[in-house]
Amino acid sequence: MNAKFFDNWTNQVRKGMLELCILNDIRNRKMYGYEIVRRLRKIEGLIISEGAIYPILSRLKRQGFVETSIQESAEGPARKYYELTEQGREMVSRMNDYWRAISGVTDSIEKG
Amino acid sequence: MIALSDSARRSLDDYLRQARAYLRGSRSVDADEVEQNITEHIEDALEGANEPVSRDKLDAVLQKLGDPQQWVPEEELPWWRQFVLRLRTGPEDWRLSYISFALFVAAVVIASYVSTQIFAALVSASFLASRAAISQTPESKQLKAQKWLLYPPLIVVYGFVLGVLLILPLLLLIALAEKYETHFGRLQSELDYWFVAFSVVIAAMGAWLGILALTALILGKRTQLLLRPFADAYKAKWALVTLIVGLGVMIASAIVGLVYYTYFT
Repeated sequence: MNAKFFDNWTNQVRKGMLELCILNDIRNRKMYGYEIVRRLRKIEGLIISEGAIYPILSRLKRQGFVETSIQESAEGPARKYYELTEQGREMVSRMNDYWRAISGVTDSIEKG
Repeated sequence: MIALSDSARRSLDDYLRQARAYLRGSRSVDADEVEQNITEHIEDALEGANEPVSRDKLDAVLQKLGDPQQWVPEEELPWWRQFVLRLRTGPEDWRLSYISFALFVAAVVIASYVSTQIFAALVSASFLASRAAISQTPESKQLKAQKWLLYPPLIVVYGFVLGVLLILPLLLLIALAEKYETHFGRLQSELDYWFVAFSVVIAAMGAWLGILALTALILGKRTQLLLRPFADAYKAKWALVTLIVGLGVMIASAIVGLVYYTYFT
């Protein structure tokens, strides 16, 4: 029962965190899909199935937060790169602020 | 494109088919784009591997990609798909199959004695329930024993549609023949009449077959979707071959009929 509760809770937290991490990851430079997966998989417990990143990227694109461009690659075929739009930059800033505020409050509550 | 062994290729095709099936109904996601990303991901993950890549190596990558069913949250699916998911993933996973079968049995046992309209309504409802259950299953072989519950209304409805599609040109021909009966005054003997009539019927059937095949070609993958689960293995080349055969039969039969009508009657 406790394990199930924890699983449900981490699933909910992970969902929001994954979007935040993806947006932050491409904040400073454009990246291709597999590159984003490779970087995020280093964060333990964040990614349960790597394929879940791609529907999120597709959704973020539809919402206008990211845009794509195709670039030739020296090692292989052309790759699709993702980068933040202006709207995406504003959104990730707001999300980061919110996360910092929540995190700060959680820390202070925990410390009593 | 990285070279895969035969079994790895089959495994990848199965996986992509599953992914397409689950992403298809999502309002917020571009299924084609995600499929393209997944393919690129696999290529990147297998870069440097010995070719042709074995199934074990591919499956390790697919395992990390995870089950496509987990990629899209339930709340992002359209309402009808959420409804179907809840019905199917409740305590009884076969619920929709039972509903479909119950409606079908009710149609056959009760409604067929009461009225044709009720029979048609119940069979249609049963058909829709079966299609809804199947839409949640990317591969028809995954249905296993549920087939026995889901297939009866599908066979009845598809059989009816197929029957109508095949009989339609014959009915049209009979109507036309009655209208233009006087134009065939030259056909004195019964043999002449039947020979020409047979040629016209075969030519018309060939043309109709061609039209159906052309429609299937234009619809592309929607043909598969339209006739699920019986057309899961459908390939465009089948429609192309049918189109060529249909046109060939039409032309050959028309020529034979015309030559006979012109020179032998």
